[in-house]
Amino acid sequence: MSELPCLIRHRTFDCQVKGSHQSSLEEGPTGTSRPRHSLSVLHVSYSVSSYVGPWWDVASRRQRWDRQILKDISLYVESGQIMCILGSSGSGKTTLLDAISGRLRRTGTLHGEVCVNGQTLRRDQFQDCFSYVMQSDTFLSSLTVRETLRYTAMLTTRRGSADLLQKKVEAVMAELNLSHVADQVIGNYSFGGISSGERRRVSIAVQLLQDPKIMMFDEPTTGLDSMTANQIVHLLAELARRDRIVILTIHQPRSELFQHFDKIAILTFGELVFCGTPVEMLDFFNNCGYPCPDHSNPFDFYMDLTSVDSQSKEREIETYKRVQMFESSYKESAICHRTLENIERTKHLKTLPAVPFKTKDLPGALCKLGVLLRRVTRNLLRNKQALMMRLLQNLIMGLFVTFFLLRVQNDMLKGAVQDRVGLLYQFVGATPYTGMLNAVTLFPVLRAVSDQESLDGLYEKWQMLLAYMLHILPFSIIATVLFSSVSYWALGLYPEAARFGYFSAALLAPHLIGEYLTLVLLGIVQNPNIVNSIVALLSIAGLLVGSGFVRNVEEMNFPFRIYRYFTFQKYCCEILIVNEFYGLNFTCGNSANSEITNPLCAMTQGIQFIETTCPGATSRFTANFLILYVYIPVLVILGIVVFKIRDHLISR
Amino acid sequence: MAGEAGEKELWRRPAIQDALGLQDSVFASENDNSLYFTYSGPSNTLEVRDLTYQVDTASQVPWFEQLAQFKIPWLSHKNQDSGENGIQNLSFRVRSGQMLAIIGSSGCGRASLLDVITGRDHGGRMCSGQIWINGQPSTSRLVRKCVAHVRQHDQLLPHLTVRETLAFVAQMRLPRSFSQAERNKRVEDVIAELRLRQCADTRVGNTYVRGVSGGERRRVSIGVQLLWNPGILILDEPTSGLDSFTAHNLVRTLSRLAKGNRLVLISLHQPRSDIFRLFDLVLLMSSGTTVYLGPAQHMISYFTALGYPCPRYSNPADFYVDLTSIDRHSQEQEVATREKARSLAAMFREKVRDCDDFMWKAEARELDVGTCVASPTPPCDNSCQTPSEPPGVLQQFATLTRRQVSSDFRDLPTLLIHGAEACLMSLIIGFLYYGHGDNKLSFMDTAALLFMIGALIPFNVILDVVSKCHSERAMLYAELEDGLYTTGPYYFAKILGELPEHCAYVIIYGMPTYWLANLHPELLPFVLHFLLVWLVVFCCRAMALAAAALLPTFHMSSFFCNAFYNAFYLTGGFMINLKNLWTVPSWVAKVSFLRWCFAGLMQVQYNGRIYTVQVGNFTFSVPGDKMVSDMDLNSHPLYAIYLILIGISGGFLFLYYVSLRFIKQKSSQDW
Repeated sequence: MSELPCLIRHRTFDCQVKGSHQSSLEEGPTGTSRPRHSLSVLHVSYSVSSYVGPWWDVASRRQRWDRQILKDISLYVESGQIMCILGSSGSGKTTLLDAISGRLRRTGTLHGEVCVNGQTLRRDQFQDCFSYVMQSDTFLSSLTVRETLRYTAMLTTRRGSADLLQKKVEAVMAELNLSHVADQVIGNYSFGGISSGERRRVSIAVQLLQDPKIMMFDEPTTGLDSMTANQIVHLLAELARRDRIVILTIHQPRSELFQHFDKIAILTFGELVFCGTPVEMLDFFNNCGYPCPDHSNPFDFYMDLTSVDSQSKEREIETYKRVQMFESSYKESAICHRTLENIERTKHLKTLPAVPFKTKDLPGALCKLGVLLRRVTRNLLRNKQALMMRLLQNLIMGLFVTFFLLRVQNDMLKGAVQDRVGLLYQFVGATPYTGMLNAVTLFPVLRAVSDQESLDGLYEKWQMLLAYMLHILPFSIIATVLFSSVSYWALGLYPEAARFGYFSAALLAPHLIGEYLTLVLLGIVQNPNIVNSIVALLSIAGLLVGSGFVRNVEEMNFPFRIYRYFTFQKYCCEILIVNEFYGLNFTCGNSANSEITNPLCAMTQGIQFIETTCPGATSRFTANFLILYVYIPVLVILGIVVFKIRDHLISR
Repeated sequence: MAGEAGEKELWRRPAIQDALGLQDSVFASENDNSLYFTYSGPSNTLEVRDLTYQVDTASQVPWFEQLAQFKIPWLSHKNQDSGENGIQNLSFRVRSGQMLAIIGSSGCGRASLLDVITGRDHGGRMCSGQIWINGQPSTSRLVRKCVAHVRQHDQLLPHLTVRETLAFVAQMRLPRSFSQAERNKRVEDVIAELRLRQCADTRVGNTYVRGVSGGERRRVSIGVQLLWNPGILILDEPTSGLDSFTAHNLVRTLSRLAKGNRLVLISLHQPRSDIFRLFDLVLLMSSGTTVYLGPAQHMISYFTALGYPCPRYSNPADFYVDLTSIDRHSQEQEVATREKARSLAAMFREKVRDCDDFMWKAEARELDVGTCVASPTPPCDNSCQTPSEPPGVLQQFATLTRRQVSSDFRDLPTLLIHGAEACLMSLIIGFLYYGHGDNKLSFMDTAALLFMIGALIPFNVILDVVSKCHSERAMLYAELEDGLYTTGPYYFAKILGELPEHCAYVIIYGMPTYWLANLHPELLPFVLHFLLVWLVVFCCRAMALAAAALLPTFHMSSFFCNAFYNAFYLTGGFMINLKNLWTVPSWVAKVSFLRWCFAGLMQVQYNGRIYTVQVGNFTFSVPGDKMVSDMDLNSHPLYAIYLILIGISGGFLFLYYVSLRFIKQKSSQDW
């Protein structure tokens, strides 16, 4: 049955498993020319303490509740081996991976030690030693596979020649069988791109670029169909054979995968129930009196056997007892003792091999910023929809207003002042709003990418923020000029070229401030919808108080008058009013016969309006511009600070 | 090498006798196997004969996405080969008391088969063959009467408890002849049958709201269908997303339901080995054809006879699904696997050629399920059970209203957030225009305040209403399809159910501002003012409802609403002088509820009063009417403004009804 590779594999199963068992070199690293790396985890426990009650319940805040997530776990893996950690959801698989790779949240307490080649690592060395592929693939969706890899390569190596980089990228793509999609856009859920299996392989490729010796994978097969999942596990086993240590967690493995793993660890409620080769596993459970029945998946069977069913109290006690039984018999078994011996032996080796760090040759901060800038710009330029939105949103808003107003009048009775004020109010209100919309739709993806890549030690989060802030500058300028050149002249505002320039410059600032303010908030608040509402509320309040169009400034309450000085809308509106009204003459009615009866006709010159709404604004024209533009660097600095703090807020 | 020999021995050891019992012991969690609620009607059969079905993927794409696709015509060429991705020559017959599991890899035609049986085959073509229910060709009426379809995604209101959810459905679904006590009894029976007693008073919840567990929620969905005592139960991927214990218990529940004289049909992607053991009949499909149909425990022996034995430590369901699935990774792989699937299907057809229920059976022993020998043609009892008369429109309306109100009021966090938001905005505006003390508000300030009251307040309503409607949309679609109620009662219940929240919102938002700004303190202006604000917010709500029902996605609805709102805002008479509007905007201004509200509020405050203006050293005494007229807001009398606002909201409500009635409320969201 040549069309059944699966069967063939299965027939040769015995010898394969045996082979790997023998070659797992637990007898000692003899006979090999290259030093074998080893990873040992000794008595690792991890507990988090959290408050019992909700935040408003003061009494409960006094006591804390300790929750043990990992309990006394010891593992030993050597290079060339692939280890699979099994467990139902909530069993602590991911936490174990995090603990090994030093990515745990700082709030919990971690006991025990993780040694690489018998040496304990410093906190900052973890990042450089382990590579970690997370469950979700986060990429810039408009870049091609080759570009994604090349930019990552540029971020990791200092000034390597372009040829060298190119070669490295091509080699990694060849290794992961990605060459056929090298020039395809990665894509995301809404528009197609490469398949999900290929995306997963790109995640792996990104890590391989740094040539790590120890690789971790959190649920690499989740969300993939069975065939692709099989291929991924094949690939990981292949990577392990090339002298690497591979550790992966898996939620529901299929039976064919059974033979691929050198070691299988089963976790339940943070306890290690078993860890050993597949053969040892069958043997162990047999001896405990639970042989795996025919025609059932041993993974499923053993996982069910060792998980705790919390549906009812009795069931929970019953199943927990069974787990305890397994655990204690594992602790007494020879397999467990051998693991501990191995760990001890590597520690007391005469010559400890050096710790296998990733190729660590990071470029300087400025150089990284340059690479990031090029990367985000290219990503934006590829994404037609985002680019259109960025460039045309303001223009559409301007055209919308123009459509309703057509042209401003100079006749007081036809609303010369009212129309102009309404117009400026609308513009000052809408430009920060469009900026906010841009940031809310485009930045969260980049934020996710930077969160992940900063954990890999490629760069820091604020560098990505700065790159984003810089790359939007030219686009925002183009968008504002497009908008203002159409609506300024169409509406017939003060016909003078210099005034047009001031107008554009004054509206560029709120557009940028709106976007930057949103970015700062996105550093603190995770949910973009909440940021959306906060910024909308802030800008409405700022507009009502700051503009002075809808409320006489002198009659405002004292707190509001103080608040005005903090709103950018105040400065922006003053500039726009002076720009539009200075030197403007009004008419009243059809002819010059001034109907003194109409109070509206009392105003004949624009300067009068300036003096009533914002006295002294003419003399503050330059100062207002300066203050308005000071908001931008202030927000940039604030953003950098916030994203530096974010390291502590978000660290897993 | 003793160890080696031992290992070999371990692998080759014959199956241990009690292994099956052992696996059951891993799961044995329910010792209560009694049947609380069995099917009472006559027995049912479902027969599919020679069904060939073609899927037309192009027509399944929603119209708005098709519109977008016209730009990229080469994409539509790619979809042309999808015609074969349907069902070919499929036949089977199942009877009450049997549970048939349809398994197969993705794209094997499972979903199409369920669509055809439940009569939801939009965008497909039945080329030949027929479906018979109880010896009658199936019609949508018959399907609705006999078949209950439990969808893959739970469509439940998250804030109701399990018992309430079932009780509301009982009110709407059970025939009029049922007394209240009987309804309660039925609800309790279903709760007992599905083992939901311990969580009967917990709220249902969803991914965002904490509630009962995933398996329990799935069982509530089943309970909703079970309430009306259907003879045929169809479930689409009931175990997806559940952990192993829950999935096992759910399938066990289903097989118990089948024992209660029901016909249960489930589709599964790749069942785990312990679940596979619970099946009695299995239909294995591959690219639309039957590869195996028969008792589950004989599947392995069938395939072993064909030369495909299942390896020892391997899940037969996984193994045989993989065996028959099409590998699309490369061209030659695809051809090879397709050929293999085809030959397996042909072999199966050969084997069951002379068996009238198309089912393979082991020769060795006669089976209790799926006997091949002339199963008697079922009695031509066309009605599964005659649900005498469904409850009246009025009762549906009352139940729906109660359901909506109690669901809304349970959702405390949302209420609090909306309340706090409204309170904050109203205080900011109120203190900004603080009008007590020496100097009263000037004319322009008051006008600005009145416009802000009319224009800012309704804006928040739009997004809330649109997002809520879209989140309920999938449920509405499912319930309308099931015939739980009709559009009319839902429409009135929805509008009436919105009113309590609406009133509370207007009071919180509108009242503090009125008092803080020190507008005219007499009772009559206050009442008139309040009514106007109430009406304008209601207009906005009606517009949002209409947009949510009219347009297919959340984004389109909210964009549509925003654009309209902005148009109404600009033509509101404050930003731009109404006299300056050219033709088109002045038409827009005629339906701008913001303009009419602004005009009304101004008239309430100023008409019939004398107002003094100071410009420089001059003091003018101007009648208020003149000021209002200058803004062109005095064109219509106050009562006309009220009528116009009522008319506008009526128009939007009419549009809402028409959209509900004639546009399928399919949800484009997946959650």
